Amino acid sequence: MKKLEKNWLEWIVFAISLILVLFTLGYIVYDGATLGETPPNIELQLSQPQPQGDRFIIPVTAKNLGDATAETVQIEVTLNSGGKEAETSQFEIAFLPRYSTRRGWVIFQTDPRTVEQIQARVLGFEKP
Amino acid sequence: MERSLAKSLQEYLRGIAGGLLFSLPLLYTMEVWWAGFITHPIRLLIYVLATFSLLLAYNRYAGLRRSAGALEVAIDSVEEMGLGLVIAAVMLWLLGQINAEMNLTEISGKIIVEAMTVAIGVSVGTAQLGGDGKEGDTGMQGEDAQPSSSPIPFLTDNQGDFGGQIAIALCGAVLFAANLAPTEEIIVIAIETPTARLLGLALLSILFAVLILFYSDFTGSQRFSQIRGIKNILFGAVVTYAIALVASAAILWFFGRFDNTTLFICLAQTVVLGVAATLGASAGRLLLQ
Repeated sequence: MKKLEKNWLEWIVFAISLILVLFTLGYIVYDGATLGETPPNIELQLSQPQPQGDRFIIPVTAKNLGDATAETVQIEVTLNSGGKEAETSQFEIAFLPRYSTRRGWVIFQTDPRTVEQIQARVLGFEKP
Repeated sequence: MERSLAKSLQEYLRGIAGGLLFSLPLLYTMEVWWAGFITHPIRLLIYVLATFSLLLAYNRYAGLRRSAGALEVAIDSVEEMGLGLVIAAVMLWLLGQINAEMNLTEISGKIIVEAMTVAIGVSVGTAQLGGDGKEGDTGMQGEDAQPSSSPIPFLTDNQGDFGGQIAIALCGAVLFAANLAPTEEIIVIAIETPTARLLGLALLSILFAVLILFYSDFTGSQRFSQIRGIKNILFGAVVTYAIALVASAAILWFFGRFDNTTLFICLAQTVVLGVAATLGASAGRLLLQ
């Protein structure tokens, strides 16, 4: 075989490229081998309500623990007082990839700190 | 003899420019970002391997150092893919599509999907954008370098580098079709267009292939134009269109456009995208070498 004619810059670029390509292939294979079949499994977490002008906002964190991406995830948060629904707010997440986290906020007129219970739930989502 | 540092740096910069030039539309397309985290790893792996094969073929038949040994062709292909990954990562970060808060699967998926087209762009850019690249290197002394004065029948089976012609046509088709394939518009057109007009699109594609390859006087086309003969024209057009359809179908499948879709809509999408792929396969293959 002909001797390779490369200068050090070309060897460095090649070495970095080789590492990147091998890492990429390795990662895809690893990801494919460990990927399960569970449908999107969305976990919601509410943070501390904050007053904002004449309204109140609650940060919501949605984490997808399943092995598939969920599209148009509808999330609803309800304030319950004395066994009755006081107020409901909702928002939508366009895409929630597997194992990923997205953040949103729900806004209320009622002060969430005065109600007995705050309930968050996922209404539904699409398969992309 | 080693190339000088300045010259190899020049080649890399040319590659980077080419990579951005040919793949910027994809870096700016939402559907491609989404494909990064929706696509199943197995499909992603097939996409990477297919792109790598295409790079090998392009570097072997039309690249900067086409007469180089198999090892050098492989090294060039790895470098192009590496550059593609780096360019895609930097661009996606600048465009705000990847950030430290994201999960590794999301980040890597987005980068990988984008990097593949960038890599083909890098390859084409390195070989084509240079003014002196062809004379400067060992490029034109290769066994398949043909003197441009002798007419070569296009894509005829008695020709030695039939495989090379197909590889370059495939590269052109992929480069053009990949920019349209992930968009919603392809499926919308495929669903809304009446069958008769789909047939019209198919005929238009074949007509374009014939015009570009044999009558347009595009750079390089005069090499074929002297031997027009109805048989050659028919053969060239059919093979070009077939390559375009295969490339279209493969890209559409990768972007999940064939999932849970009836056969007819799959076919309609392939025909719709086939127009772009045919332009790439015919014009591209004249310009790319």
